[in-house]
Amino acid sequence: MVAHRRRNWKQAISRFLLLDLLKGMIVTFKWQAPSKCYTVQYPKVRPRIGERFRGAPRLNRDPETGESLCIACNLCAVACPENLITVTEEVREYLDEASGKVKKKRFLADYLYDTSRCMFCGYCQDVCPTYAIELTQEFELAIYRRRAFAWTWEMLENGIDQPVYTR
Amino acid sequence: MEFVERIISNPVMMEYVWKPLVVILILLFIVLTLVAYLVYAERKVSAFIQARLGPMRVGPYGLLQPLADLIKLILKEDIIPAQGDRGIFKFAPILSVVCALVVLAVIPFGWGVATITDINIGLLFILSVSSVGILGIILGGWASNSKYPLLGALRSSAQMVSYEVAMALALVGPLMFAKSLSMTAIVEAQRTDHIWYLLYQPVAFLVFLVAGVAETNRTPFDLPEAEAELVAGFHTEYSGFRWSLYFLAEYTNMLISSAIAVTVFLGGWSFPFLDRLRPEHPGLFTLLSIFVFAVKVFVLIYMFMWFRWTFPRYRYDQLMDLGWKWMIPAALANILITGAIIMIGQETLGLTKVVGGEYGERLVVPGLAGKAYFIGMAWLVLVPMTWFILAMINRRSYDFNLRAQRQIRLPERPATEDVFGKV
Repeated sequence: MVAHRRRNWKQAISRFLLLDLLKGMIVTFKWQAPSKCYTVQYPKVRPRIGERFRGAPRLNRDPETGESLCIACNLCAVACPENLITVTEEVREYLDEASGKVKKKRFLADYLYDTSRCMFCGYCQDVCPTYAIELTQEFELAIYRRRAFAWTWEMLENGIDQPVYTR
Repeated sequence: MEFVERIISNPVMMEYVWKPLVVILILLFIVLTLVAYLVYAERKVSAFIQARLGPMRVGPYGLLQPLADLIKLILKEDIIPAQGDRGIFKFAPILSVVCALVVLAVIPFGWGVATITDINIGLLFILSVSSVGILGIILGGWASNSKYPLLGALRSSAQMVSYEVAMALALVGPLMFAKSLSMTAIVEAQRTDHIWYLLYQPVAFLVFLVAGVAETNRTPFDLPEAEAELVAGFHTEYSGFRWSLYFLAEYTNMLISSAIAVTVFLGGWSFPFLDRLRPEHPGLFTLLSIFVFAVKVFVLIYMFMWFRWTFPRYRYDQLMDLGWKWMIPAALANILITGAIIMIGQETLGLTKVVGGEYGERLVVPGLAGKAYFIGMAWLVLVPMTWFILAMINRRSYDFNLRAQRQIRLPERPATEDVFGKV
Protein backbone atom coordinates (compact mmCIF):
# COMPACT_ATOMS: atom_id res chain seq x y z
CA MET A 1 0.00 0.00 0.00
CA VAL A 2 1.55 3.21 -1.12
CA ALA A 3 0.50 6.64 0.01
CA HIS A 4 -0.79 8.79 -2.83
CA ARG A 5 1.70 11.44 -3.77
CA ARG A 6 0.18 14.81 -4.52
CA ARG A 7 1.41 16.71 -7.54
CA ASN A 8 1.17 20.38 -8.17
CA TRP A 9 -0.17 21.73 -11.46
CA LYS A 10 3.23 22.14 -13.05
CA GLN A 11 4.14 18.53 -12.39
CA ALA A 12 0.77 17.32 -13.60
CA ILE A 13 1.06 19.20 -16.88
CA SER A 14 4.61 18.04 -17.51
CA ARG A 15 3.39 14.50 -16.87
CA PHE A 16 0.48 14.92 -19.21
CA LEU A 17 2.64 16.24 -22.03
CA LEU A 18 5.32 13.57 -21.38
CA LEU A 19 7.88 16.33 -21.03
CA ASP A 20 10.44 14.03 -19.41
CA LEU A 21 10.43 11.74 -22.41
CA LEU A 22 10.57 14.64 -24.85
CA LYS A 23 13.49 16.16 -23.00
CA GLY A 24 15.41 12.90 -23.28
CA MET A 25 14.62 12.63 -26.96
CA ILE A 26 15.79 16.17 -27.61
CA VAL A 27 19.08 15.39 -25.88
CA THR A 28 19.72 12.31 -28.00
CA PHE A 29 18.66 14.15 -31.15
CA LYS A 30 21.08 16.99 -30.52
CA TRP A 31 23.95 14.59 -30.00
CA GLN A 32 23.65 13.42 -33.59
CA ALA A 33 25.26 16.59 -34.90
CA PRO A 34 28.41 15.65 -36.84
CA SER A 35 30.35 18.28 -34.92
CA LYS A 36 29.83 16.33 -31.71
CA CYS A 37 31.42 13.16 -33.06
CA TYR A 38 34.38 11.99 -31.03
CA THR A 39 35.59 9.21 -33.31
CA VAL A 40 38.99 9.61 -34.96
CA GLN A 41 39.29 7.48 -38.10
CA TYR A 42 42.57 6.16 -36.74
CA PRO A 43 44.64 4.62 -39.51
CA LYS A 44 43.36 7.22 -41.95
CA VAL A 45 43.56 10.17 -39.59
CA ARG A 46 46.36 10.38 -37.07
CA PRO A 47 45.21 11.23 -33.56
CA ARG A 48 46.62 14.33 -31.94
CA ILE A 49 49.19 13.25 -29.39
CA GLY A 50 50.16 15.23 -26.32
CA GLU A 51 53.46 17.08 -26.44
CA ARG A 52 54.84 15.28 -23.43
CA PHE A 53 53.76 11.83 -24.56
CA ARG A 54 56.56 9.27 -24.23
CA GLY A 55 56.58 6.66 -26.96
CA ALA A 56 59.12 4.81 -29.06
CA PRO A 57 62.78 5.49 -28.24
CA ARG A 58 65.08 7.18 -30.75
CA LEU A 59 68.84 7.61 -30.80
CA ASN A 60 69.58 11.03 -32.22
CA ARG A 61 72.29 11.95 -34.66
CA ASP A 62 74.17 15.15 -35.01
CA PRO A 63 72.28 16.94 -37.78
CA GLU A 64 75.47 18.50 -39.20
CA THR A 65 77.99 15.67 -39.17
CA GLY A 66 75.56 12.78 -39.18
CA GLU A 67 77.41 11.04 -36.37
CA SER A 68 75.66 9.61 -33.38
CA LEU A 69 75.27 11.97 -30.47
CA CYS A 70 75.78 9.07 -28.06
CA ILE A 71 79.08 9.17 -26.22
CA ALA A 72 78.65 5.68 -24.78
CA CYS A 73 78.69 6.96 -21.19
CA ASN A 74 76.33 4.17 -20.07
CA LEU A 75 74.28 6.55 -17.88
CA CYS A 76 71.00 5.52 -19.54
CA ALA A 77 71.68 1.87 -18.86
CA VAL A 78 72.38 2.69 -15.23
CA ALA A 79 69.30 4.85 -14.89
CA CYS A 80 66.96 2.32 -16.48
CA PRO A 81 64.75 0.68 -13.83
CA GLU A 82 64.23 -2.35 -16.01
CA ASN A 83 67.87 -2.77 -17.07
CA LEU A 84 66.77 -3.11 -20.64
CA ILE A 85 69.42 -0.91 -22.25
CA THR A 86 72.71 -2.50 -23.17
CA VAL A 87 75.42 -0.08 -24.25
CA THR A 88 78.56 -1.59 -25.81
CA GLU A 89 81.51 0.76 -26.13
CA GLU A 90 84.87 0.55 -27.81
CA VAL A 91 87.92 2.71 -27.46
CA ARG A 92 89.18 3.96 -30.81
CA GLU A 93 92.00 6.22 -31.94
CA TYR A 94 91.00 9.21 -33.93
CA LEU A 95 92.60 12.32 -35.46
CA ASP A 96 91.77 15.45 -33.50
CA GLU A 97 91.52 18.20 -36.10
CA ALA A 98 92.10 21.09 -33.69
CA SER A 99 95.50 19.91 -32.44
CA GLY A 100 96.40 17.59 -35.29
CA LYS A 101 97.25 14.76 -32.88
CA VAL A 102 95.97 11.20 -32.72
CA LYS A 103 93.84 10.76 -29.61
CA LYS A 104 91.96 7.91 -27.94
CA LYS A 105 88.24 8.11 -27.17
CA ARG A 106 85.29 5.91 -26.26
CA PHE A 107 82.90 5.32 -29.12
CA LEU A 108 79.52 3.60 -29.25
CA ALA A 109 79.89 0.09 -30.65
CA ASP A 110 76.36 -1.19 -30.21
CA TYR A 111 73.16 -0.10 -28.51
CA LEU A 112 70.36 -2.54 -27.63
CA TYR A 113 67.01 -1.35 -26.35
CA ASP A 114 64.42 -4.00 -25.39
CA THR A 115 61.06 -2.30 -25.97
CA SER A 116 59.11 -5.34 -24.75
CA ARG A 117 60.14 -4.54 -21.18
CA CYS A 118 60.13 -0.77 -21.46
CA MET A 119 57.58 1.13 -19.38
CA PHE A 120 58.37 4.47 -21.02
CA CYS A 121 59.32 6.18 -17.76
CA GLY A 122 61.71 8.48 -19.60
CA TYR A 123 64.59 8.21 -17.09
CA CYS A 124 67.03 7.46 -19.92
CA GLN A 125 66.21 10.66 -21.76
CA ASP A 126 66.33 12.65 -18.52
CA VAL A 127 69.78 11.41 -17.66
CA CYS A 128 71.35 11.62 -21.11
CA PRO A 129 74.00 14.41 -21.15
CA THR A 130 74.00 14.83 -24.94
CA TYR A 131 70.27 14.43 -25.65
CA ALA A 132 71.07 11.33 -27.66
CA ILE A 133 68.34 8.98 -26.42
CA GLU A 134 64.87 10.41 -26.64
CA LEU A 135 61.35 9.04 -26.31
CA THR A 136 59.36 10.24 -29.30
CA GLN A 137 55.62 10.54 -29.88
CA GLU A 138 55.58 7.46 -32.07
CA PHE A 139 53.27 4.89 -30.52
CA GLU A 140 52.83 2.08 -33.03
CA LEU A 141 55.17 -0.48 -31.49
CA ALA A 142 53.32 -3.70 -32.28
CA ILE A 143 55.38 -6.20 -34.21
CA TYR A 144 54.96 -9.78 -35.36
CA ARG A 145 58.17 -11.43 -34.02
CA ARG A 146 59.08 -11.40 -30.40
CA ARG A 147 62.76 -11.01 -31.13
CA ALA A 148 62.11 -7.79 -33.00
CA PHE A 149 61.12 -6.09 -29.78
CA ALA A 150 64.81 -5.67 -29.02
CA TRP A 151 65.68 -2.58 -31.00
CA THR A 152 69.17 -2.35 -32.38
CA TRP A 153 71.18 0.81 -32.94
CA GLU A 154 69.99 1.03 -36.52
CA MET A 155 66.36 0.59 -35.58
CA LEU A 156 66.70 3.19 -32.89
CA GLU A 157 68.10 5.71 -35.34
CA ASN A 158 65.80 5.02 -38.29
CA GLY A 159 62.67 3.75 -36.62
CA ILE A 160 60.99 0.45 -37.44
CA ASP A 161 59.01 -0.34 -40.56
CA GLN A 162 55.40 0.56 -39.98
CA PRO A 163 52.58 -0.56 -42.21
CA VAL A 164 51.53 2.30 -44.45
CA TYR A 165 47.82 2.85 -44.81
CA THR A 166 46.95 4.47 -48.08
CA ARG A 167 43.21 4.83 -47.76
CA MET B 1 7.47 -31.49 -73.52
CA GLU B 2 4.16 -30.36 -74.86
CA PHE B 3 2.66 -30.98 -71.43
CA VAL B 4 5.20 -28.74 -69.77
CA GLU B 5 4.59 -26.05 -72.36
CA ARG B 6 0.88 -26.22 -71.78
CA ILE B 7 1.40 -25.79 -68.04
CA ILE B 8 3.64 -22.80 -68.51
CA SER B 9 1.43 -20.96 -71.00
CA ASN B 10 -1.84 -21.83 -69.31
CA PRO B 11 -3.66 -18.54 -68.59
CA VAL B 12 -4.79 -19.78 -65.17
CA MET B 13 -1.22 -20.71 -64.25
CA MET B 14 -0.12 -17.36 -65.62
CA GLU B 15 -2.59 -15.47 -63.47
CA TYR B 16 -2.28 -17.41 -60.24
CA VAL B 17 1.24 -18.86 -60.25
CA TRP B 18 3.78 -17.18 -62.51
CA LYS B 19 2.73 -13.57 -62.05
CA PRO B 20 2.50 -13.80 -58.23
CA LEU B 21 5.84 -15.64 -58.17
CA VAL B 22 7.54 -12.81 -60.02
CA VAL B 23 5.93 -10.25 -57.74
CA ILE B 24 6.93 -12.24 -54.65
CA LEU B 25 10.53 -12.50 -55.84
CA ILE B 26 10.78 -8.79 -56.56
CA LEU B 27 9.14 -7.86 -53.27
CA LEU B 28 11.29 -10.25 -51.26
CA PHE B 29 14.44 -8.99 -52.94
CA ILE B 30 13.55 -5.38 -52.17
CA VAL B 31 12.38 -6.02 -48.63
CA LEU B 32 15.31 -8.23 -47.65
CA THR B 33 17.79 -5.70 -48.99
CA LEU B 34 15.90 -3.00 -47.17
CA VAL B 35 16.00 -4.97 -43.94
CA ALA B 36 19.74 -5.49 -44.30
CA TYR B 37 20.13 -1.77 -44.70
CA LEU B 38 17.83 -1.14 -41.76
CA VAL B 39 20.41 -2.92 -39.64
CA TYR B 40 23.02 -0.62 -41.11
CA ALA B 41 20.79 2.40 -40.43
CA GLU B 42 20.24 1.26 -36.88
CA ARG B 43 23.99 0.98 -36.32
CA LYS B 44 24.53 4.40 -37.85
CA VAL B 45 21.76 6.07 -35.84
CA SER B 46 22.96 4.49 -32.61
CA ALA B 47 26.49 5.59 -33.41
CA PHE B 48 25.46 9.17 -34.13
CA ILE B 49 23.45 9.37 -30.94
CA GLN B 50 26.46 8.10 -29.00
CA ALA B 51 28.81 10.57 -30.74
CA ARG B 52 30.43 7.83 -32.80
CA LEU B 53 30.61 7.21 -36.52
CA GLY B 54 29.43 3.61 -36.82
CA PRO B 55 30.56 1.29 -39.60
CA MET B 56 32.93 3.17 -41.89
CA ARG B 57 35.46 0.68 -43.24
CA VAL B 58 33.55 -1.63 -45.61
CA GLY B 59 32.84 0.42 -48.69
CA PRO B 60 32.29 4.17 -48.69
CA TYR B 61 30.77 5.18 -45.35
CA GLY B 62 30.46 1.48 -44.53
CA LEU B 63 27.71 1.00 -47.10
CA LEU B 64 28.75 -2.58 -47.86
CA GLN B 65 28.62 -3.56 -44.20
CA PRO B 66 25.30 -5.49 -44.58
CA LEU B 67 26.96 -7.67 -47.21
CA ALA B 68 29.90 -8.38 -44.93
CA ASP B 69 27.49 -9.17 -42.08
CA LEU B 70 25.56 -11.53 -44.32
CA ILE B 71 28.69 -13.43 -45.34
CA LYS B 72 29.74 -13.67 -41.73
CA LEU B 73 26.34 -14.98 -40.65
CA ILE B 74 26.19 -17.60 -43.40
CA LEU B 75 29.69 -18.87 -42.66
CA LYS B 76 29.09 -19.16 -38.92
CA GLU B 77 28.68 -22.57 -37.35
CA ASP B 78 25.07 -23.63 -36.88
CA ILE B 79 24.82 -24.91 -33.32
CA ILE B 80 21.85 -26.88 -32.04
CA PRO B 81 21.81 -27.62 -28.31
CA ALA B 82 22.34 -31.31 -27.60
CA GLN B 83 19.43 -31.51 -25.18
CA GLY B 84 17.17 -29.25 -27.22
CA ASP B 85 14.20 -30.26 -29.32
CA ARG B 86 15.83 -30.39 -32.73
CA GLY B 87 12.73 -30.26 -34.87
CA ILE B 88 11.09 -27.36 -33.10
CA PHE B 89 14.42 -25.61 -32.79
CA LYS B 90 14.76 -25.62 -36.56
CA PHE B 91 11.12 -24.76 -37.19
CA ALA B 92 10.78 -21.78 -34.83
CA PRO B 93 12.83 -19.14 -36.67
CA ILE B 94 11.22 -20.14 -39.96
CA LEU B 95 7.78 -19.59 -38.45
CA SER B 96 8.83 -16.17 -37.20
CA VAL B 97 10.16 -15.09 -40.57
CA VAL B 98 7.29 -16.47 -42.61
CA CYS B 99 4.71 -14.71 -40.46
CA ALA B 100 6.61 -11.47 -40.83
CA LEU B 101 6.99 -11.77 -44.60
CA VAL B 102 3.46 -12.96 -45.39
CA VAL B 103 2.06 -9.73 -44.01
CA LEU B 104 3.92 -7.75 -46.65
CA ALA B 105 1.47 -8.99 -49.26
CA VAL B 106 -1.41 -6.79 -48.16
CA ILE B 107 0.45 -3.57 -47.49
CA PRO B 108 -0.25 -0.91 -50.12
CA PHE B 109 3.21 0.36 -50.97
CA GLY B 110 1.85 2.79 -53.50
CA TRP B 111 -0.81 3.45 -56.10
CA GLY B 112 -1.65 0.98 -58.88
CA VAL B 113 0.94 -1.74 -59.40
CA ALA B 114 2.50 -1.12 -56.03
CA THR B 115 -0.65 -2.28 -54.26
CA ILE B 116 0.08 -5.95 -54.57
CA THR B 117 -3.10 -7.46 -53.19
CA ASP B 118 -6.09 -5.80 -51.70
CA ILE B 119 -8.17 -8.11 -49.54
CA ASN B 120 -11.17 -6.70 -47.73
CA ILE B 121 -9.98 -7.94 -44.33
CA GLY B 122 -6.45 -6.57 -44.76
CA LEU B 123 -5.93 -5.12 -41.33
CA LEU B 124 -7.46 -8.13 -39.60
CA PHE B 125 -5.21 -10.39 -41.69
CA ILE B 126 -2.12 -8.45 -40.65
CA LEU B 127 -3.02 -8.51 -36.97
CA SER B 128 -3.83 -12.21 -36.93
CA VAL B 129 -0.81 -13.36 -38.94
CA SER B 130 1.66 -11.23 -37.06
CA SER B 131 0.37 -12.58 -33.76
CA VAL B 132 1.22 -16.10 -34.94
CA GLY B 133 4.78 -14.84 -35.21
CA ILE B 134 4.94 -14.78 -31.43
CA LEU B 135 4.64 -18.54 -31.54
CA GLY B 136 8.02 -18.66 -33.28
CA ILE B 137 9.57 -16.84 -30.37
CA ILE B 138 7.91 -19.02 -27.75
CA LEU B 139 8.82 -22.22 -29.58
CA GLY B 140 12.40 -21.05 -30.02
CA GLY B 141 12.70 -20.33 -26.34
CA TRP B 142 11.13 -23.66 -25.44
CA ALA B 143 13.13 -25.80 -27.86
CA SER B 144 16.45 -24.38 -26.69
CA ASN B 145 16.05 -26.28 -23.40
CA SER B 146 17.93 -23.61 -21.55
CA LYS B 147 16.83 -21.24 -18.83
CA TYR B 148 17.46 -17.84 -20.38
CA PRO B 149 15.67 -18.54 -23.66
CA LEU B 150 12.72 -19.92 -21.75
CA LEU B 151 12.53 -16.85 -19.52
CA GLY B 152 12.78 -14.63 -22.58
CA ALA B 153 10.05 -16.56 -24.33
CA LEU B 154 7.76 -16.37 -21.31
CA ARG B 155 8.27 -12.65 -21.07
CA SER B 156 7.71 -12.14 -24.75
CA SER B 157 4.48 -14.12 -24.78
CA ALA B 158 3.06 -12.15 -21.86
CA GLN B 159 4.19 -8.88 -23.36
CA MET B 160 2.96 -9.51 -26.86
CA VAL B 161 -0.39 -10.86 -25.79
CA SER B 162 -1.08 -7.81 -23.65
CA TYR B 163 0.13 -5.27 -26.19
CA GLU B 164 -1.65 -6.91 -29.09
CA VAL B 165 -4.95 -6.01 -27.41
CA ALA B 166 -4.02 -2.36 -27.14
CA MET B 167 -2.76 -2.33 -30.71
CA ALA B 168 -5.95 -3.78 -32.14
CA LEU B 169 -8.16 -1.54 -30.00
CA ALA B 170 -6.21 1.53 -31.09
CA LEU B 171 -6.95 0.71 -34.71
CA VAL B 172 -10.70 0.73 -34.09
CA GLY B 173 -10.83 4.53 -33.87
CA PRO B 174 -9.62 5.26 -37.40
CA LEU B 175 -11.70 2.35 -38.69
CA MET B 176 -14.83 4.16 -37.49
CA PHE B 177 -14.04 6.82 -40.06
CA ALA B 178 -12.84 4.53 -42.84
CA LYS B 179 -15.53 1.89 -42.25
CA SER B 180 -13.38 -0.76 -43.90
CA LEU B 181 -10.60 -3.16 -42.96
CA SER B 182 -9.07 -3.07 -46.42
CA MET B 183 -5.77 -1.23 -46.36
CA THR B 184 -6.39 0.34 -49.76
CA ALA B 185 -9.82 1.55 -48.69
CA ILE B 186 -8.32 3.22 -45.62
CA VAL B 187 -5.81 5.06 -47.77
CA GLU B 188 -8.50 6.00 -50.28
CA ALA B 189 -10.77 7.31 -47.53
CA GLN B 190 -8.01 9.58 -46.25
CA ARG B 191 -7.00 10.66 -49.73
CA THR B 192 -10.47 11.58 -50.94
CA ASP B 193 -11.26 13.27 -47.65
CA HIS B 194 -7.99 15.26 -47.72
CA ILE B 195 -7.12 14.35 -44.15
CA TRP B 196 -4.70 12.22 -42.19
CA TYR B 197 -6.40 10.26 -39.45
CA LEU B 198 -3.59 11.31 -37.13
CA LEU B 199 -5.45 14.61 -36.83
CA TYR B 200 -8.70 12.89 -35.86
CA GLN B 201 -7.10 10.22 -33.67
CA PRO B 202 -4.04 11.47 -31.75
CA VAL B 203 -4.58 9.13 -28.80
CA ALA B 204 -4.98 6.09 -31.00
CA PHE B 205 -1.79 7.00 -32.85
CA LEU B 206 0.18 7.29 -29.64
CA VAL B 207 -1.18 4.01 -28.31
CA PHE B 208 -0.49 2.29 -31.60
CA LEU B 209 3.05 3.63 -31.71
CA VAL B 210 3.85 2.47 -28.19
CA ALA B 211 2.21 -0.91 -28.76
CA GLY B 212 4.07 -1.19 -32.05
CA VAL B 213 7.39 -0.68 -30.30
CA ALA B 214 6.39 -3.32 -27.76
CA GLU B 215 5.21 -5.70 -30.48
CA THR B 216 8.53 -5.55 -32.29
CA ASN B 217 10.50 -6.26 -29.10
CA ARG B 218 12.45 -3.08 -29.22
CA THR B 219 13.75 -0.93 -26.41
CA PRO B 220 12.23 0.31 -24.10
CA PHE B 221 10.18 -2.90 -24.34
CA ASP B 222 12.90 -5.36 -25.30
CA LEU B 223 12.43 -7.51 -22.23
CA PRO B 224 12.34 -10.79 -24.21
CA GLU B 225 15.93 -10.22 -25.28
CA ALA B 226 17.14 -7.98 -22.49
CA GLU B 227 20.84 -8.46 -23.01
CA ALA B 228 21.76 -7.24 -19.56
CA GLU B 229 19.48 -9.74 -17.84
CA LEU B 230 18.86 -12.69 -20.13
CA VAL B 231 22.04 -12.94 -22.25
CA ALA B 232 20.06 -12.63 -25.48
CA GLY B 233 16.60 -13.84 -24.45
CA PHE B 234 14.84 -16.31 -26.70
CA HIS B 235 17.65 -16.49 -29.26
CA THR B 236 20.48 -17.15 -26.81
CA GLU B 237 21.12 -20.60 -28.23
CA TYR B 238 20.73 -19.58 -31.86
CA SER B 239 23.72 -18.87 -34.01
CA GLY B 240 24.57 -18.22 -37.61
CA PHE B 241 21.81 -18.22 -40.14
CA ARG B 242 19.01 -19.25 -37.76
CA TRP B 243 19.82 -16.28 -35.57
CA SER B 244 19.81 -14.02 -38.59
CA LEU B 245 16.32 -15.29 -39.43
CA TYR B 246 15.10 -14.02 -36.07
CA PHE B 247 16.87 -10.77 -36.71
CA LEU B 248 15.23 -10.54 -40.11
CA ALA B 249 11.83 -11.15 -38.55
CA GLU B 250 12.38 -8.43 -35.99
CA TYR B 251 13.33 -5.82 -38.53
CA THR B 252 10.59 -6.85 -40.94
CA ASN B 253 8.12 -6.50 -38.09
CA MET B 254 9.42 -3.02 -37.46
CA LEU B 255 8.90 -2.22 -41.12
CA ILE B 256 5.37 -3.62 -40.99
CA SER B 257 4.40 -1.76 -37.82
CA SER B 258 5.55 1.49 -39.38
CA ALA B 259 3.77 0.64 -42.62
CA ILE B 260 0.48 0.01 -40.77
CA ALA B 261 0.87 3.22 -38.80
CA VAL B 262 1.53 5.12 -42.01
CA THR B 263 -1.40 3.53 -43.81
CA VAL B 264 -3.91 4.02 -41.05
CA PHE B 265 -2.83 7.30 -39.48
CA LEU B 266 -0.62 9.16 -41.93
CA GLY B 267 -2.55 8.75 -45.16
CA GLY B 268 -0.50 5.91 -46.67
CA TRP B 269 0.96 6.77 -50.04
CA SER B 270 -1.23 9.83 -50.53
CA PHE B 271 0.16 13.29 -50.22
CA PRO B 272 -1.52 16.69 -50.58
CA PHE B 273 -1.50 18.22 -54.09
CA LEU B 274 0.07 15.09 -55.59
CA ASP B 275 -3.22 13.81 -57.05
CA ARG B 276 -3.15 16.26 -59.96
CA LEU B 277 -0.39 14.21 -61.54
CA ARG B 278 -2.48 11.05 -61.74
CA PRO B 279 -4.49 11.59 -64.96
CA GLU B 280 -1.56 12.84 -66.99
CA HIS B 281 1.44 10.87 -65.66
CA PRO B 282 0.20 7.63 -64.08
CA GLY B 283 3.69 6.08 -64.14
CA LEU B 284 5.30 9.04 -62.43
CA PHE B 285 2.43 9.14 -59.97
CA THR B 286 2.99 5.50 -59.03
CA LEU B 287 6.69 6.11 -58.45
CA LEU B 288 5.99 9.24 -56.43
CA SER B 289 3.39 7.43 -54.33
CA ILE B 290 5.91 4.70 -53.51
CA PHE B 291 8.44 7.39 -52.66
CA VAL B 292 5.99 9.21 -50.37
CA PHE B 293 5.11 5.96 -48.62
CA ALA B 294 8.79 5.09 -48.17
CA VAL B 295 9.59 8.51 -46.72
CA LYS B 296 6.75 8.27 -44.22
CA VAL B 297 7.76 4.75 -43.22
CA PHE B 298 11.37 5.76 -42.78
CA VAL B 299 10.43 8.70 -40.61
CA LEU B 300 8.59 6.29 -38.32
CA ILE B 301 11.42 3.76 -38.37
CA TYR B 302 13.81 6.52 -37.46
CA MET B 303 11.53 7.30 -34.54
CA PHE B 304 11.67 3.65 -33.47
CA MET B 305 15.47 3.80 -33.50
CA TRP B 306 15.43 7.13 -31.77
CA PHE B 307 13.25 5.66 -29.00
CA ARG B 308 15.58 2.71 -28.70
CA TRP B 309 18.66 4.80 -28.06
CA THR B 310 16.91 7.27 -25.77
CA PHE B 311 14.79 5.33 -23.32
CA PRO B 312 16.03 2.79 -20.81
CA ARG B 313 14.28 -0.57 -20.55
CA TYR B 314 11.16 -0.90 -18.45
CA ARG B 315 11.03 -3.17 -15.47
CA TYR B 316 8.77 -6.14 -16.03
CA ASP B 317 5.98 -4.95 -13.70
CA GLN B 318 6.16 -1.49 -15.23
CA LEU B 319 5.76 -3.04 -18.65
CA MET B 320 2.63 -4.89 -17.60
CA ASP B 321 1.35 -1.79 -15.83
CA LEU B 322 1.82 0.28 -18.95
CA GLY B 323 0.06 -2.32 -21.04
CA TRP B 324 -2.95 -3.02 -18.88
CA LYS B 325 -3.41 0.20 -16.91
CA TRP B 326 -2.52 2.78 -19.54
CA MET B 327 -2.59 1.47 -23.09
CA ILE B 328 -5.73 -0.65 -23.04
CA PRO B 329 -7.85 1.85 -21.02
CA ALA B 330 -6.61 4.63 -23.30
CA ALA B 331 -7.60 2.67 -26.39
CA LEU B 332 -11.00 1.80 -24.93
CA ALA B 333 -11.65 5.38 -23.85
CA ASN B 334 -10.61 6.50 -27.30
CA ILE B 335 -13.17 4.21 -28.92
CA LEU B 336 -15.93 5.42 -26.63
CA ILE B 337 -15.21 9.12 -26.95
CA THR B 338 -14.61 8.95 -30.69
CA GLY B 339 -17.93 7.19 -31.06
CA ALA B 340 -19.63 9.94 -29.10
CA ILE B 341 -17.91 12.63 -31.19
CA ILE B 342 -18.98 10.96 -34.42
CA MET B 343 -22.53 10.54 -33.13
CA ILE B 344 -22.79 14.20 -32.22
CA GLY B 345 -21.23 15.31 -35.49
CA GLN B 346 -23.42 13.04 -37.53
CA GLU B 347 -26.81 13.18 -35.84
CA THR B 348 -26.91 16.55 -34.10
CA LEU B 349 -24.72 18.74 -36.28
CA GLY B 350 -25.10 16.88 -39.58
CA LEU B 351 -21.49 17.44 -40.53
CA THR B 352 -20.88 14.04 -42.08
CA LYS B 353 -22.41 11.85 -44.67
CA VAL B 354 -21.96 8.22 -45.53
CA VAL B 355 -21.15 7.61 -49.16
CA GLY B 356 -20.68 4.41 -51.06
CA GLY B 357 -17.76 4.01 -53.39
CA GLU B 358 -15.37 1.62 -54.99
CA TYR B 359 -14.53 0.13 -51.61
CA GLY B 360 -17.94 0.16 -49.93
CA GLU B 361 -19.46 2.93 -47.92
CA ARG B 362 -17.44 5.19 -45.71
CA LEU B 363 -17.79 8.25 -43.54
CA VAL B 364 -17.01 11.48 -45.33
CA VAL B 365 -16.58 14.86 -43.72
CA PRO B 366 -17.22 17.45 -46.39
CA GLY B 367 -16.42 21.07 -45.76
CA LEU B 368 -14.01 22.87 -43.49
CA ALA B 369 -16.50 23.19 -40.64
CA GLY B 370 -16.75 19.44 -40.26
CA LYS B 371 -13.00 18.96 -40.36
CA ALA B 372 -12.49 21.75 -37.84
CA TYR B 373 -15.11 20.14 -35.61
CA PHE B 374 -13.48 16.71 -35.71
CA ILE B 375 -9.90 17.96 -35.33
CA GLY B 376 -10.83 20.36 -32.56
CA MET B 377 -12.85 17.75 -30.70
CA ALA B 378 -9.98 15.26 -31.04
CA TRP B 379 -7.29 17.52 -29.65
CA LEU B 380 -9.30 19.62 -27.20
CA VAL B 381 -11.81 17.07 -25.88
CA LEU B 382 -10.61 13.57 -26.69
CA VAL B 383 -7.04 13.99 -25.45
CA PRO B 384 -7.84 15.71 -22.12
CA MET B 385 -10.73 13.33 -21.45
CA THR B 386 -8.59 10.27 -22.11
CA TRP B 387 -5.93 11.73 -19.90
CA PHE B 388 -8.47 12.36 -17.16
CA ILE B 389 -9.75 8.78 -17.35
CA LEU B 390 -6.20 7.41 -17.24
CA ALA B 391 -5.34 9.65 -14.32
CA MET B 392 -8.42 8.39 -12.45
CA ILE B 393 -7.57 4.76 -13.16
CA ASN B 394 -3.93 5.15 -12.18
CA ARG B 395 -4.51 7.48 -9.27
CA ARG B 396 -3.07 5.05 -6.78
CA SER B 397 -0.55 3.20 -8.90
CA TYR B 398 3.21 3.55 -9.03
CA ASP B 399 4.79 6.34 -10.96
CA PHE B 400 6.95 5.42 -13.94
CA ASN B 401 9.26 8.24 -13.18
CA LEU B 402 11.85 6.68 -10.90
CA ARG B 403 12.70 9.98 -9.29
CA ALA B 404 9.08 10.52 -8.44
CA GLN B 405 8.87 6.95 -7.22
CA ARG B 406 11.62 7.55 -4.72
CA GLN B 407 9.68 10.47 -3.31
CA ILE B 408 6.66 8.35 -2.52
CA ARG B 409 5.91 8.52 1.18
CA LEU B 410 5.32 5.11 2.66
CA PRO B 411 2.80 4.99 5.47
CA GLU B 412 4.27 4.81 8.94
CA ARG B 413 4.71 1.21 9.98
CA PRO B 414 3.36 0.46 13.45
CA ALA B 415 5.94 -0.75 15.93
CA THR B 416 6.07 -4.49 16.49
CA GLU B 417 5.02 -4.04 20.11
CA ASP B 418 1.82 -2.28 19.13
CA VAL B 419 0.80 -5.19 16.94
CA PHE B 420 1.88 -8.19 18.94
CA GLY B 421 2.13 -6.75 22.44
CA LYS B 422 5.22 -7.10 24.57
CA VAL B 423 7.21 -10.14 23.62
